[in-house]
Amino acid sequence: MSDAVDMRVDLAGIPLRNPVLTASGTFGYGTELAPFLDLTRIGGFVAKSLTPKPRIGNPPPRIAEVPAGMLNAISLENVGVEAFVEDKLPALPEGVTVIASVFGTEPAHYAEVCERLAEVPRVAGIEVNASCPHVKAGGIEFGQDPKMLGDLVTVVKRAARQPVLVKLSPNVTRIADMAKVCEDAGADGLSLINAVQAMDVDIRRRRTVLRNGLGGLSGPAIRPIALRMVWQAAQAVKIPICGIGGISTPEDAIKFLLCGATAIQVGTANYLDPEAAGRIADGIADYAREQGFPRVSDLVGALESW
Amino acid sequence: MLSPGEVTNVRRDDPLLPRPMAVFRQRPASGPESPSDVEVLYKVEGRGTALLAEAREGARIRLVGPLGRPFPTPRPGARVVVVGGGTGIASVYGLAAEAPSGSRSTLILGARSATDLMARADFEALPAILQFTTEDGSLGEKGLVTAPLERALAEGDVDTVYCCGPTPMMRACAERAAAAGVTCVVSLENNMACGFGVCLGCAAPRPAGDYALVCRDGPVFDASEIQWDGLP
Repeated sequence: MSDAVDMRVDLAGIPLRNPVLTASGTFGYGTELAPFLDLTRIGGFVAKSLTPKPRIGNPPPRIAEVPAGMLNAISLENVGVEAFVEDKLPALPEGVTVIASVFGTEPAHYAEVCERLAEVPRVAGIEVNASCPHVKAGGIEFGQDPKMLGDLVTVVKRAARQPVLVKLSPNVTRIADMAKVCEDAGADGLSLINAVQAMDVDIRRRRTVLRNGLGGLSGPAIRPIALRMVWQAAQAVKIPICGIGGISTPEDAIKFLLCGATAIQVGTANYLDPEAAGRIADGIADYAREQGFPRVSDLVGALESW
Repeated sequence: MLSPGEVTNVRRDDPLLPRPMAVFRQRPASGPESPSDVEVLYKVEGRGTALLAEAREGARIRLVGPLGRPFPTPRPGARVVVVGGGTGIASVYGLAAEAPSGSRSTLILGARSATDLMARADFEALPAILQFTTEDGSLGEKGLVTAPLERALAEGDVDTVYCCGPTPMMRACAERAAAAGVTCVVSLENNMACGFGVCLGCAAPRPAGDYALVCRDGPVFDASEIQWDGLP
């Protein structure tokens, strides 16, 4: 088609076929979704967060439904970086862009995973999970304390060879400050937001619905919060932003692009419809064509002021 | 074709998450728009099933499936006991319906009362020895499925017990089978968000201390793989 939209974007030095990624923890290691979705229809995916050693998750119940969203407290169950490199990556089809998410309870763990991945060309980028809201010893502290966050980014940047995105927690007072800290420490880009810390109660059993008590809220319920935070972060920094939070339709994704996100990630929507990310990529292209934008990157930050 | 014990995730636009439901029956298409008809049995329990019950003919409902590992096919000539309770009867219907020729099935179906038992005529048409139990005695034997299960096991030549229903029922059946030295396979009904192994929400504890995923490793398990105490 002569008026085909150029869907390519450059996310912090990671070249993407289109701006639609899928979020860590909602897409496994990619192969799980392959029966339902041609993985080359999307820009790429962020794999489940990796730790130096395999981890077993929380006892059930781990998930619960809430209005327009869900709570989860999985606790970063993963196969460990070695099995990811040896077993999971080789099982993926060619031409699929993979971003690895890394996690640890201390900066040295993040560095260890990044060093192992530095020699793996199949990994196009690193996403630092600084914001997991339900692990007592890690996650939330890095993402909530500006000093610790900055120090972590410095350590990761030293260990990583690929571009580094820092995934920010929404559970902070001023997201712009956290974004700036990461930029100043050398982050190549930002991903936001992670799940919003939340809880719910079963009044018949007089217990929290999750065995862990607290969990992370995701899904359409958090989308307006995420959009606000992406917009605020985009005002505060020059590095590119990957927008995340309740994106379920092409319209949702376009809003994030207009508010300054270079790319977006589809998360909880993958559970309901494993083809969602593919449909969202198609829908963004249709919108850009209808609206007369030759390149999808022209949509980034194209929000008009009143 | 769908196999007995396989699951589909059923969803309208509200609420958010799909509901894992066992395939009751797959039949030739009733209309030109459908490749085949898939039947599920459900009881109106909450908002999701209430909305499903309001759906009129022609309403669009999304199914993702088939998902999970189905029941192992009974061995030809083997005597099997199939136990179903609540909506779990849907999951075991196909086992009795598709049993290989020469196999002998005893089908035990439990319900709170006769009015709670769905698709009774369909079960009565199956080539199996059928035994009903109801808690109020309104149909079949008064009491729980475990009484006829114990009698069947006492007869001594049972190859496998297949079971789907509420967790306490499956646990009780698994314990009776284990006591008789008979293999028991169960189909678990944990909540799940995705159904294909990525949300990790449907974890079921194993005796080794780790977790199986009901959607990916099940929903059908050998009962010896399940740590019943840790199930939600």
